[in-house]
Amino acid sequence: MPEALVIRNISRRFGGLRAVQDLSFAVNEGETVALIGPNGAGKTTSFNLITGYYRPDAGSVFAFGREIVGLRPHEICAHGLARTFQVARPFGKMTVLANVMTGAFLRDRRMEIAREQARQAIDFVGLSAKEHTPARDLTTIDQRRLELARALATQPRLLLLDEVMAGLNPAEIDQAVALVGKLSQRGLTIVIVEHVMRAILAVARHIVVLDHGQKIAEGNPREVVANPDVIRAYLGTDYAQAASVGERQC
Amino acid sequence: MLTTVAQAVVNGLLIGGIYALVSIGVTLIFGVVKIVNFAQGEFVMIGMYISYFLASSFGIDPLVSLIVVMPALFVIGVLLQHLLIRRVLALGDMPQIFLTFALSLLVVNVALLLFTANYRTVQAPYSETAIHLGAINLPVAKLIAFVVAMTLSAVLWVFLHATDLGKAMRAAAQNRDVAMLMGINPDRVFSVAVGVALALAGAAGALLMPFYPAYPLVGQVFVLMAFVAVVLGTLGNVTGALIASLMMGVAESLGIQFVGADSGLIVVFVMLLLTLALRPSGLFGGRSR
Amino acid sequence: MRRFTSRNTVWICLLFGAVLAVPLFVSNSFAIDICIRILLFAFIGVAWNLMGGYAKQLSLGHAAYFGLGAYTSTILLIRYGVSPWIGMLVGGIVAMLASLPIGALCFRLRGPYFAIATIATAQVLMLLFLKFRDFAWGAEGTTIPNLGDAPLMMQFEGKAPYYYIVLALLVIGLVVTYCIERSWIGYYLVAVGEDEDAAEAIGVDAQGIKRNIYLISAFLTALAGTFYVQYIYFIDPNTAFSFNVSVEAALVSIVGGIGTLWGPVVGTVFLEATSALLQSWLGGGHGGVQLTVYSLILIAVILIRPAGLIGIVTEFYARLVRSGAATAKEVRLDA
Repeated sequence: MPEALVIRNISRRFGGLRAVQDLSFAVNEGETVALIGPNGAGKTTSFNLITGYYRPDAGSVFAFGREIVGLRPHEICAHGLARTFQVARPFGKMTVLANVMTGAFLRDRRMEIAREQARQAIDFVGLSAKEHTPARDLTTIDQRRLELARALATQPRLLLLDEVMAGLNPAEIDQAVALVGKLSQRGLTIVIVEHVMRAILAVARHIVVLDHGQKIAEGNPREVVANPDVIRAYLGTDYAQAASVGERQC
Repeated sequence: MLTTVAQAVVNGLLIGGIYALVSIGVTLIFGVVKIVNFAQGEFVMIGMYISYFLASSFGIDPLVSLIVVMPALFVIGVLLQHLLIRRVLALGDMPQIFLTFALSLLVVNVALLLFTANYRTVQAPYSETAIHLGAINLPVAKLIAFVVAMTLSAVLWVFLHATDLGKAMRAAAQNRDVAMLMGINPDRVFSVAVGVALALAGAAGALLMPFYPAYPLVGQVFVLMAFVAVVLGTLGNVTGALIASLMMGVAESLGIQFVGADSGLIVVFVMLLLTLALRPSGLFGGRSR
Repeated sequence: MRRFTSRNTVWICLLFGAVLAVPLFVSNSFAIDICIRILLFAFIGVAWNLMGGYAKQLSLGHAAYFGLGAYTSTILLIRYGVSPWIGMLVGGIVAMLASLPIGALCFRLRGPYFAIATIATAQVLMLLFLKFRDFAWGAEGTTIPNLGDAPLMMQFEGKAPYYYIVLALLVIGLVVTYCIERSWIGYYLVAVGEDEDAAEAIGVDAQGIKRNIYLISAFLTALAGTFYVQYIYFIDPNTAFSFNVSVEAALVSIVGGIGTLWGPVVGTVFLEATSALLQSWLGGGHGGVQLTVYSLILIAVILIRPAGLIGIVTEFYARLVRSGAATAKEVRLDA
């Protein structure tokens, strides 16, 4: 399977803080990969590095065969990578429809076409009823839906989702998981940063674990969950030892 | 030649002290309240006029008037924050800019109406005297202004780093929400920040009186200097503003000495443009990307 | 923004008709002068609004382009005998070219610091023109030769022709704004104004958009500069690059309704009318009165109605025609 995204040894520091160190991983086309790790591990920074908001101090990022380090965020979006932000950033002044149309204009500048594309994306996330609501009047979860719709309107090939499930109740998580599943079925490559294990296990075949800016583990969900380094990163040394003892006993 | 340069540098440093008071105020308000005070220069002007009237009506020396000017402007600052600034904090960038900008317009024009555009000056006993260090001429009035300015800056530094309220201000500057979670009352912190900033501006005004005329538009010159110094010294960085102000004073002075008498403004703008072009986040800022 | 329904169109035509007819009914020179000022500053406000209202790039240095336009056409006129009609266009192009390096530098700063940088650029230009007498007459400025009635040289005996010229300029500005507002450019502008980073994430070339809207804004503002010189027969750096021009450009939009089509017009009418009333009430000679009142109005608007006065106008209009719920001026209508 061809690789949609190849991260090769990227690093970035901010002053004395090494936010991301020598990170490498790859995502195949059509795959859904979860990027997890404790808070401050460098997940959102990685997204920012991939999408051009920060420039890596070293390393390269290939998206669909093309080196994208050094490109501006809008060029990277045009190339097929879309992202959502951890805290939704809607264009408050505009309606839901206008917000998403703004995304759709990337692919076609004609009003009717863009409107149609936007409506499809809005329908997909379930916001059709609120098409003409100003974005700033939406609830937080609807703003997240809007964020997703807007990103989808740019017709991405690779979607980077930053903690879309945070703060959702179980029913909402199921809805979100279903949406992600549908996107994956359409062939979209997805990289998802998440804390909600249930969601991760439901959508991701492959998990990359970060801690303190470095990759500490990678593999399928079962492997990762049992990995003592991962357990140590999240829960501390005691649990890690207990886990490895437990494994041997099984 | 060397003497000329040295003299120019000294002159620049001395006036740089005044610029520092103004720019520290701007950067303090920006750092803590996250709002740019376009009207900062006008408070220098108010300080000058208070000082002037105290001198002409009661014969009070401008230095002594600091005792009145600084608390008065502190109070004005607290009122300003409480009545006006607080109301626009939630509104976003644009209304905030225009509020302080409108305030600036208002104060200048009210001053024009009340005082007319005439220059007012104060002659202190030391207005014309100077100390001589070798070949270097140190005008006493400017020297005093510099010393007081540096002292006030040092006091502010101690306040910000050693007192609880000061640390609270720095915390609020770094992260308002977390600071609130820590029990810091943002309103109080903001009021103090604005009050202190305006007190510093007023102090600058009083210190200027012995050697600089007061007129309604006088603030505009200083505020421009201050803003460039704030950008150069990195937004929100008090020490940066101080250092940058001294640099700007020296640059202006050298410009006046070697380029021409009215090149002061040009120097300022060149410095601003250079900063923008080469290091937009200022001398002490990080990389932007 | 109102939709152009057939009912709206009727009202707008009536309004336009009334505006067209003004010089026919008003012969008082002073009154026509006020009307011309209103139209001129509304036009400058509309030009500013494209950048400052939609894209939220708050320039307080638009006088730079006003002055460049004014000086370009004047230099071409006096030194080379070129008609100001052509000079106007050349001035616009000069302004556009100037906006490129100015934008490149200033856009590195955001928010209020951008504003300061723009103030600085206008000041620099003023200083340059004050100093250099060789090509631009220095501090005294110059008058333009009075050619009597010379339409081809943009000079007229009466005031009515000037009225129609500046009205045409305003209409051009409004049409440009309207077209942009309804196109993908309009959406991109508002997106950049709302959240530049989020806009970039969905493929908006924020730098490019800012640069392009600045070009248009500068061009239009320069046209106003040429008109002004031709109208008052005089130019000097303090008038041409006046901070007051920069301020008023922004002021009328903010008071009237930033980021709306009619906002600058509403704002100008309100401010100039207030100013005219004040002048007739207090007489001239009170240096700071006008600006004092303007600043008080601005503060009041910011505190009470940050969206501008146009909301009042739209509500009044809606009530007048009883067309249902008043359209909130900020909501993008996109059916």
